[in-house]
Amino acid sequence: MVVFNTSPLDDTDLVNWNMLGFRTICGRLQPRLWQLSPLRAVHTASDPTVSPALLTRARLLAAEHTKLSDRLGESFDSKIAKRAGELAPIADVLKEWVTANESISELKSLLEDPDTDAELRSLAIEDLESSHGTLPAISDRLKKSLIPRHPFANMPCLLEIRPGAGGDEAGLFASEMLRMYMALCSRRGLRPTILKQDTEVGASDDRLTEAVLEVEADGAYDILRTESGVHRVQRVPATETKGRTHTSAVSVMVLPSFSETASEMDNALNFEDPSSDYYIDPQEVRVEKMRAGGAGGQHVNKTESAIRLTHIPTNTVVSMQDERSQQANRRKAWQILRAKIAEARQEAREQELVQLRRGILGGVAKMGRGDKIRTYNFGQSRCTDHRTGVTIHNLDSVMDGGDGLDTVMESVRVWMDNSEVEAMIAEDMAKQTDVK
Amino acid sequence: MPRIPYSVILRAHRENSLLPLLLKECRTIDSARNELRWLREAVQEKQSLPTNWSRLRSMCRLRSKGVPLQYLLGNQPFGDLEILCHQGVLIPRPETESYTYKSAQLVQKIKRKPETKLRILDLCTGTGCISLLLHALLAPHFQDLSITGVDISPVALGLAQKNLQHNIKLDQLVLQAATDIQFHRADVLGNGSDTLVSIRSLLQTLGRPSQPSEHLQYDLLISNPPYISRAEFRNGTTARSVRLFEPELALVPPSVSEDGRPEDIFYHRILSLALELKTPITVLECGDMAQAQRVVTLHERLAGNNDFSAEIWPRHERDLAEYGFHETDGSRCVIIQRL
Repeated sequence: MVVFNTSPLDDTDLVNWNMLGFRTICGRLQPRLWQLSPLRAVHTASDPTVSPALLTRARLLAAEHTKLSDRLGESFDSKIAKRAGELAPIADVLKEWVTANESISELKSLLEDPDTDAELRSLAIEDLESSHGTLPAISDRLKKSLIPRHPFANMPCLLEIRPGAGGDEAGLFASEMLRMYMALCSRRGLRPTILKQDTEVGASDDRLTEAVLEVEADGAYDILRTESGVHRVQRVPATETKGRTHTSAVSVMVLPSFSETASEMDNALNFEDPSSDYYIDPQEVRVEKMRAGGAGGQHVNKTESAIRLTHIPTNTVVSMQDERSQQANRRKAWQILRAKIAEARQEAREQELVQLRRGILGGVAKMGRGDKIRTYNFGQSRCTDHRTGVTIHNLDSVMDGGDGLDTVMESVRVWMDNSEVEAMIAEDMAKQTDVK
Repeated sequence: MPRIPYSVILRAHRENSLLPLLLKECRTIDSARNELRWLREAVQEKQSLPTNWSRLRSMCRLRSKGVPLQYLLGNQPFGDLEILCHQGVLIPRPETESYTYKSAQLVQKIKRKPETKLRILDLCTGTGCISLLLHALLAPHFQDLSITGVDISPVALGLAQKNLQHNIKLDQLVLQAATDIQFHRADVLGNGSDTLVSIRSLLQTLGRPSQPSEHLQYDLLISNPPYISRAEFRNGTTARSVRLFEPELALVPPSVSEDGRPEDIFYHRILSLALELKTPITVLECGDMAQAQRVVTLHERLAGNNDFSAEIWPRHERDLAEYGFHETDGSRCVIIQRL
């Protein structure tokens, strides 16, 4: 009898099989990197068993879904409908999982029954094998459906690009990255607009000093959050005379973008509501407009209207001078300030969670914004993501914001989901040992 | 004006050969970069590629001669409005924008009953920017709104009317604005002639037909009158670009033989008019701190008793910083409120 999850040997095989599948989806893994993470093999998302704690969690949520659906049958309420909509996938996949397990145990009892004739037996064995084949995928989906949704997942986002170490070369690459993300967002219909672009206008190329891209589509935050971190470029810069390869860095930050009218937001995300996590007290923000001495009013005609906002408690500074309109500069500065503070608060909360988990798991892989996440190597025409180990050997398809970049981002998404599931399992295990 | 260091010009040139042209008016690289971007965007919006660069260069050359950016681009943002600009009419200034916002706040604070009629008088309206922005800010709070803009210049009045239509088209003003806002030609200083009515006779014709001698009640009188003295127009206090390209009529009051300084003449007339009309709030833009102080003194002399508060705004550090005013230099406004 072949039952995958009973023998420890088969279990590991399955894990490796999955890793290979992962490889074929994501491109080539750098062998060194994926050997470095033995942790992943301990609790991968594709373990076909679902821990009892996760199962309990799924059952509770499915029960809640049934209750809400019943209530919706009586009278419609948009809030309840929204919550029910969020829970529906969990309930569905749980049902699928239960059905699959039931059919497996039925088939098993059929096989154990000595009265079963030979023909039926061979059919049952076939069915059992196919059920065992689909079960891991269903379990995987069940676990992933349980990952708590990121609070900003449904929101549009801002993508901030800043050159780091590397001088002119970093500035040049930063403007290439801006083009890359513009192309990606346009291709996927995410409606990108440049909110802020500070450049040094060069003879041939523009060197970026800072740019903020606004991506208006709902859910853009969730799509682009794989991009936060330090991106490294290795190439021979145009300015290099001796043919040496330089390494420079560009940092990317993905921030949630709050709609201008606060009332359109959910209560928890309403930045004008003092009880919201993302509330900013206007008293704590210093507003400064650029001011110059000398004559004013009708005597002069200044065209600039730079504005600077400082959030005093966190010393977060946003300045804006791109627009001719004072009001537009003010609005954009506020939008960026709100986004930065919300992201920082969310990050602090995640950090707390990571601290908790670290005690349990000895460090769940969580990349902060300071970590190097990806390398673009022009000499070898490759792009490697350091979180997943995926390498794309067609750098153009990445830099054009094409399929290459999609593939890298998708691999990071899978990696993020897996880490979340690992963390959930670890937490539940810890809870169980506490109970014992 | 201090000379721009040669090193800065060189650096600008290395970045882009057009930047030094803009540096002449902008004075700093940051500001020149911004103007270059705005000009480039404007050129790209309208033109096909081959003529782009030569058009951009000719615009930069005009700019280096001092032609205001707003005359080249044809407009200036004012609040959320887009005010069209052309030669012959004063370009709206950022300080005026701040005074307008402040006035709208004051009106809302004092006039709590939104169902009563709100009347505003805007003297020396120019592009009509103050009247239009006040409408945009107050229309959501007052159902019955009437704003009268007055100017002596037919060119300005034509542009103000165009701006009204333009901002309705842009959806920045509600359709109602077309009837709520009226622009009239009148002389704020003179006593009128055959071809030009005085402000007093204009207000009388606007008054109630049943009692022609009685004026309408205005809740706010606001004005950005010409306030530059002949000396300051010539001695370098007034920027070259303003002196050469903006209308002197909107900047320097005519020399009328009367007591006090000639540059304050409009304040004399407007303050006595405000007293006559018994306006609860009067807001007057002034050239600098000293002039604002003179206007306060003048008002005290004219009003005589203590039924008014007259303050110079902005004054406190927070307001100064938020609205971009220098601690001592630059324009101020005087706000007079009937107690």
